[in-house]
Amino acid sequence: MSVDKVSVARFELLMDAGFGAQKAGDVLVQAFAKAGKYVYIEPMIPAEISPPPRTRPALSGVIIRVADFDITNIGNDTDVIIASHEIVLDRRLDDDEHNPNCKVLLDMGDKEDNQESYEKACKRVTKLGLNIYPFEITTEAKDAIKAMGGKGTNMFYLGMLTWIYSMTEQSVVDEIKLTFKKLKEDILEKNIRIFHQGYQFAKDNVHFSYQVDGSPENQTGEKILIDGNSALSMGLIDAGIKLFSGYPITPASSIMHTLAKVLPSYGGIVHQAEDEISAIGTAIGSYFGGVPSVTCTSGPGLSLKQEFIGYASAAEIPLIIIDAQRSGPSTGMPTKTEQSDLLAAAFGSHGDNTKIIISVANVIDCFYAPQMARYLAEKLRLPVFIMSDFQTANSYKVITKPQVTEMNDVNEIKDFVLERFHINRLPDKIEMVRDDQANPGTPGHMRRVTGLNTDSKGNVNYSANTNQHSHEIRNEKVHTVARALTKPEMFGNEENEVLVVGWGSTRGAIEEAIYVCKKEGLPISGLHLKIVSPLPLMLTEIFKKFKKVVTVEVAYGDEIKPAPLAMLLRSQTLVDVKSIICEATGRPIRPKIIKQKAKEILHGHANATVTV
Amino acid sequence: MVTQTQPSPSSQPLTIKDLQTENPRWCVGCGDFGILMGVKRFMVDTQISAAQTVNVSGIGCSGRAPNYINAYGVHSIHGRPITVAMGLALSRPDLNLFIHAGDGDTLSIGGNHFIHGINKNFKCVFVLYDNELYALTKNQTSPTTRKGHTTMTQPQGTYLDPIGALRLALGAGASFVASTADWIPDHMASTLKAAFAHPGFALVHISQRCPHFDPNNFDHKTSSWFSFLKHEKGIAPDKRIADKTEVIEHDPSNLEAAFKFACSPRPYFGLFYQNSNKPRYDSIMHDLVKQAKPRSRAQLLDGYKI
Repeated sequence: MSVDKVSVARFELLMDAGFGAQKAGDVLVQAFAKAGKYVYIEPMIPAEISPPPRTRPALSGVIIRVADFDITNIGNDTDVIIASHEIVLDRRLDDDEHNPNCKVLLDMGDKEDNQESYEKACKRVTKLGLNIYPFEITTEAKDAIKAMGGKGTNMFYLGMLTWIYSMTEQSVVDEIKLTFKKLKEDILEKNIRIFHQGYQFAKDNVHFSYQVDGSPENQTGEKILIDGNSALSMGLIDAGIKLFSGYPITPASSIMHTLAKVLPSYGGIVHQAEDEISAIGTAIGSYFGGVPSVTCTSGPGLSLKQEFIGYASAAEIPLIIIDAQRSGPSTGMPTKTEQSDLLAAAFGSHGDNTKIIISVANVIDCFYAPQMARYLAEKLRLPVFIMSDFQTANSYKVITKPQVTEMNDVNEIKDFVLERFHINRLPDKIEMVRDDQANPGTPGHMRRVTGLNTDSKGNVNYSANTNQHSHEIRNEKVHTVARALTKPEMFGNEENEVLVVGWGSTRGAIEEAIYVCKKEGLPISGLHLKIVSPLPLMLTEIFKKFKKVVTVEVAYGDEIKPAPLAMLLRSQTLVDVKSIICEATGRPIRPKIIKQKAKEILHGHANATVTV
Repeated sequence: MVTQTQPSPSSQPLTIKDLQTENPRWCVGCGDFGILMGVKRFMVDTQISAAQTVNVSGIGCSGRAPNYINAYGVHSIHGRPITVAMGLALSRPDLNLFIHAGDGDTLSIGGNHFIHGINKNFKCVFVLYDNELYALTKNQTSPTTRKGHTTMTQPQGTYLDPIGALRLALGAGASFVASTADWIPDHMASTLKAAFAHPGFALVHISQRCPHFDPNNFDHKTSSWFSFLKHEKGIAPDKRIADKTEVIEHDPSNLEAAFKFACSPRPYFGLFYQNSNKPRYDSIMHDLVKQAKPRSRAQLLDGYKI
């Protein structure tokens, strides 16, 4: 038996909810990261709190991707699966994310009472052409787990994975100790013992293992392990936000949880409102008072907030809204990802819409987006969205610690932050509908804001010209941003046969797909947008250099119905942008799907004649 | 909490004229004129700084009130002024907050916020303009319309009994509940004064005439149909008419008696209930910040280090 040296590997641990699969994953990726490996981790979270064990909805787990190069997404397919029983395995096989040589290690512990079900699952694995490796937790470990009330199985599996991925036991034990430092010492010891038993078991019984090298340069500099929502939370603090106003909703809530613990230490308040509408009203009240605030929500909450969003643009009160998108419509699949709120964000309120939409592609964007949003919201006194999604919110990555900038005044925004979002600094003076924008408490500047149309003095005015003029000024603010947008990020040649275009969380998958296409000599390029509304003005020129333009979106679109981004691009560029690589499966889009579909488009097999 | 602007010492005393903006666009005889004047008189009487005052309103005839007072103002959206005021209460505790809302604003579209504003007990004066119907949208039944009264939406006569705003507020745990009327300016000014002095969410219910759509909602020419509540800890009855109607001694710390008056079909003007010790959500939030161990943003990400 030999160790397989690989450049990149992907594996997953599938268990019932509440048994610590994600904790085990956290431990392992920290050990990987300290060894200089690049990691990306995506938790699989059930939509219910404690779904009954040994049922399909109970599936909870982690997907881990580890590589000797910097990875930007969760990748294509899984090489190794450890499943705690046949039902979670069977459920996960539905997602069709395993590679053809995938090795499936199935814990047979429950087989005695579930013969038929196990046989069916094993048959399915074999029928798919995958390799099944049935195993059982050692009696010794089983007894220890039983003595701990059924907890600790995750440590056994963690031990197995540690051996399979050629990590030293000590490096992982160190991380177990750090992760579970609040556990009582004897319990911690018991967990570590189970971990060693799992390691030894795999060493004796699993006849394959992999080695992913660490990169020495990845061991320099301060590293942090952080997920998208935590990065956004910290970014809000760094941006100087002093009031967070929200209402519980998945997957946005964890931002409120994180800030509730720490924001008061930075001089800020976390306010849990009685509903979504109240939450945004309070954010608006705070910003009218001159104190930077934010509200945070997900799809259904976005619908409820819409009236106030229109109000803020009319009243010229700065406003920042974070939308962590999830699968919809309605409650949809609340713990699955999607990018379907784009049009609701861009056009959702009533009347004419003037607002700015920033999207985040990764955890580093999450950290800097609040500064970008605050800069735009205060300069323009318009609503500004930060669009994230379930995938970005919950996926973790080990990154070099971003630069903390401690923003106070928005004009201090750093050039590198502007560059990150592909925008130039805005002009110093931006024209407002109302000349005076003084904060309350300023003597001699008493003013009233209203949703009614006003003249430049702030007086209610219903005349035709004044109303048209107000529209012009609000829209000119948005145009100022459009003019300031620089050329978006491109992957591959700037002149080619096919261009795939995406926004937000699809960036990593696009980058990787185009890297592979280029290596294989396929004339396919990629483009990624961070600020999606307004769009940069040079897009038509860019698109003209391609024969076919298609979008990559985690949203529904088909031959007749363009997906949201395609809709925006078509209306702005008049290019026949197609929605070929659009899926609303709740799963992140994969590089290989992008490549495969782009190839079909290239060869004219895809169901569309795409012409520019 | 954060950007607190200190009121600049003003050399000139505040006058009614200083508070003038434009001529209100209300109907002739509208009770809102009386309320507007009452608010201005109160501001002048107490000499509060206009620059430090924010009037927040919803939508409806009452929603226009902030536009007619030369202070800061937010004419917000229908039913939600409490939510906007909450933001100011949290971020700018240095400001004086007044909320102006109609019966539709308060008890229909904004009912949820009303309950939670009362429960959070943040410092503000909540002025409820109750004309017992929707007027700006032209005469529809509201939560306080009298049963049987005909409107555009219930032309056979309003089907249900009105929601008792005072009863609801007391039930929700309000710390200050008072009632007055638009045509008794002295009583209104003293009510606003007591409300402003209250450390928490102070509800001032004002019976408001609407001659255009319902000339009979409140008979301002006679007084025998209502009573005043009076107490040394309460609000004095209106001097001009106290002798023309019943005056009842009522201790505003007596919640049970307050409920009895609030549930009665007979209107009472005065202070129903006051509890100055109810915890204030805004103060709790500010104390959290004061008591939290300050952290420097420079070390912001250290907790995520591996």
